[in-house]
Amino acid sequence: MAIADMLFPDNVKAPLEKTDKNDIILELLALLYDSGRISDLDKAFEAVRKREDQGSTGLGEGIAVPHAKTDLVASLTLALGVAPQGVDFDSLDGKPTRVFFLLLAPPDQSGPHVEALSEVAKISRSASFMRLLCSARSPEEVLDLFVD
Amino acid sequence: MSDVISRILVYIDGTEESVTAAEYAVCLAKSCNAALYALYVVNTRALQELLRARIFIESEEQEYARDLEADAERYLNHATELASARDVPLIKRKVEGSVLTEIKKAVRELEIDTLVIGALSRVQSRRDELYNEVERAVRSVDCTVIIAKDEERIWSLYEDL
Repeated sequence: MAIADMLFPDNVKAPLEKTDKNDIILELLALLYDSGRISDLDKAFEAVRKREDQGSTGLGEGIAVPHAKTDLVASLTLALGVAPQGVDFDSLDGKPTRVFFLLLAPPDQSGPHVEALSEVAKISRSASFMRLLCSARSPEEVLDLFVD
Repeated sequence: MSDVISRILVYIDGTEESVTAAEYAVCLAKSCNAALYALYVVNTRALQELLRARIFIESEEQEYARDLEADAERYLNHATELASARDVPLIKRKVEGSVLTEIKKAVRELEIDTLVIGALSRVQSRRDELYNEVERAVRSVDCTVIIAKDEERIWSLYEDL
């Protein structure tokens, strides 16, 4: 499933409000909780944090891809956020992170999970697309970038 | 009709759309008396890319590789069961590598005349054309391609077989 297929006005937030790594993760998970995509915010946070504790998903170049396998979701679930001010996400290059793709996947759908993460990896290699994403100031602007 | 469609390959990737494609492929194989193959590609290329991009750590890459192998078994077995329930022989094929390369290779090696895949993403962007390997396979593979759509109708066709 393409990233664009998973993006809706209620799972995209721009601009994000929080400035701390854990708070950003919670802010993204709150999108999924408020939209009924997950039923347990704490359990989701625990799953994502467990992965972060193994190594930051802040890739550098302003992008982070927090992700986890969890039985809280029946299908691949995405929250996308843009923090124009930049957030310290322990990224590999030490620079602030501005774009966050948070992905949750059920344990038995590794194929689609890998495909979605691969697409994010390819997106992150496009400096021009990343610049456009970082400058998005509303969910609508973000969504427009994925449909052309 | 048996000359028009005689060797079918259905691509399975663990999505619901590919399960629908398998159902349709069984219907097609039965009605055309065609040979039916099912292909699952363990996308090791994507795993390597994710490791290079540092989205995956090494232990994660190994864990997902095992998961993909398990998914391959599960979904290919499911396709086999779907076919068997309608007395259609199905030959499973599990390979590792890049999705695009392995689909094209399977079509060539198995002399496939019809590739069946699941519905593609509804939202189209230039990015999909460049990045989605299944869509690239649709454009580049050397055989007819059927994109199985309308899950309800296909299930109904399958049930009525």
